[in-house]
Amino acid sequence: MDVGTYVFIEFPAAVQSLDALQAAAYRLIGAATCQIDKTGDRWVCKLTPVSGSKEAPDTAALKTRFLDLVTDENLRQQIAHRTEGVRNVILSLAFGSLAGSSND
Amino acid sequence: MAGFQTVEAFHPAEGTLELLPFRFERIEKSYLVSNMVGDFIRLSGDELERIVELRMRPGDGLYEKAYAAHLIGGVNQKAKRQILAFRLRSRLAFLRETTPLHIFVVTLRCEHSCPYCQVSRQSTDRSRFDMSEETARRALDVAFESPSARIKIEFQGGEPLLNFPLISTIISLAKSKAAAVNKKVDFVIASNLALLDDTILAFCKENDVLLSTSLDGPADLHNKNRPRPGGNSHELATAGIRRAQAVLGPERVGALMTTTEASLDRVEEIVDEYLRLNLDGIFLRPLSPYGFAIKTKAFRKYGAADWLGFYERGLRYVLEINRRGTHFPEFYATLILKRMLTDRPIGYVDLRSPAGIGLGALVYNYDGKVFASDEGRMLAEMGDRTFELGHVTDSYRSLLLSDKLIGLVDASLTQCAPECSDCVFEAHCGADPVYHHATQADPVGIKPLSEFCARQKGVMRLLLDLLENSPQDAAILRRWGGM
Repeated sequence: MDVGTYVFIEFPAAVQSLDALQAAAYRLIGAATCQIDKTGDRWVCKLTPVSGSKEAPDTAALKTRFLDLVTDENLRQQIAHRTEGVRNVILSLAFGSLAGSSND
Repeated sequence: MAGFQTVEAFHPAEGTLELLPFRFERIEKSYLVSNMVGDFIRLSGDELERIVELRMRPGDGLYEKAYAAHLIGGVNQKAKRQILAFRLRSRLAFLRETTPLHIFVVTLRCEHSCPYCQVSRQSTDRSRFDMSEETARRALDVAFESPSARIKIEFQGGEPLLNFPLISTIISLAKSKAAAVNKKVDFVIASNLALLDDTILAFCKENDVLLSTSLDGPADLHNKNRPRPGGNSHELATAGIRRAQAVLGPERVGALMTTTEASLDRVEEIVDEYLRLNLDGIFLRPLSPYGFAIKTKAFRKYGAADWLGFYERGLRYVLEINRRGTHFPEFYATLILKRMLTDRPIGYVDLRSPAGIGLGALVYNYDGKVFASDEGRMLAEMGDRTFELGHVTDSYRSLLLSDKLIGLVDASLTQCAPECSDCVFEAHCGADPVYHHATQADPVGIKPLSEFCARQKGVMRLLLDLLENSPQDAAILRRWGGM
């Protein structure tokens, strides 16, 4: 939904993590600000393009960009969650307690 | 009868594949993906999704692609993890050589009056702005406490040759100390060369001293950027370069350029000037936000996009020169290519994480104050002491283990910083807490607003594009990268 120069995008809170929304909002800094509120069982993101910014796209493009960013952040979270264990093993092999056990 | 097993017999059993850590960035309709040690691969959205869901089988092409790129491995496959661990350890091995660079600011006096001067030079009062011998001796004590087996002592200013007697003393003392503790020590004088004479050159030759100078391009551009009485900075610098090349050898003198607004349309002329002087390459550097560069507003006169345009034109021109048979590298690209194409530990102080402040370099100011980086002392000249670690009377250990330094290094780690930790270019980039503190009053910095970040990403995207789409240029870039 577009209201004036704002763009509102809603996500069901049951399936969309706040962390991913916040990470996507961070990546939008410079082009738009993003205010995230919870209304009932939904996250409501209010995007406001930064006036005068060369980075600021039109509202339709802004909405698409934000949705892409959220999709990517969801995927990053999924990858991070699923690889946390092996990542820690590799870091331990490189620098930590397993670094001396390279022949195991 | 003995025979071969079927292809299916070699397929991994269901549930035996695992996803390995990787980062990605959406670029239009495809994805640039990098594994834990920064090897790049491009994937379609469908391919990325199938890899994350482990929907692959040997022989389908994607399995082989993902396996070779270390995006997947076998659940019990220790070798795969070991490879990534060894490579990661190699890439960060520069951390073993703590503080290899020691910068001595032997004077803040200078006879130039450059509007972009980042060290806020002074032109008067010898006693007030020159380092004393006592300070130098104490600084040497600190420098030789660093655990590195090989250290580099770099003399800076102001114009360090205005205090040449102290340089001579420091080199003599350092050589004695190095011999006593079995360390190697290299020396560099960063000078505008205006005061270079036969005595100094003979001294440099005798003591294997490298000379590093500033050359911004052709005479009119250089002299505009670097005014001095007589308006002959370019004439003196080029004469100095030629004399130093003749006496010390061409490989013992290098030059650095700084991009000002006036440079933006003239990159070919700048490169030609370096070629004309038989310099061994060029480092296309942006202006830094310190000292007079801020006071005279020189820093704000162009943005990251302007500089990237300048850089791309310059790099393409340099590549054209190389295609014609002249080996002439661009050093910024070379640095990044070494990171992208090899696992060699590149500890370049401005492009590493953990940051190079203190861990890569210490700066001993003329007044005895010790800073975590050259840019940190530049900020101090502007009244900001954030990167002042202590005094030459402190021990190396207390300077390096100070809460201030540890806090700044810890806060700025790209491995943990917002956006950086997930950035597809992280393995080849670095934390620059001084830059981000200077521009955003925060050592981490908001990366979507960071010109450092925009420049780094822009240069790496350009290099990847050339490596993938321009075979002739790729061959040259691979040579620069040491492959």
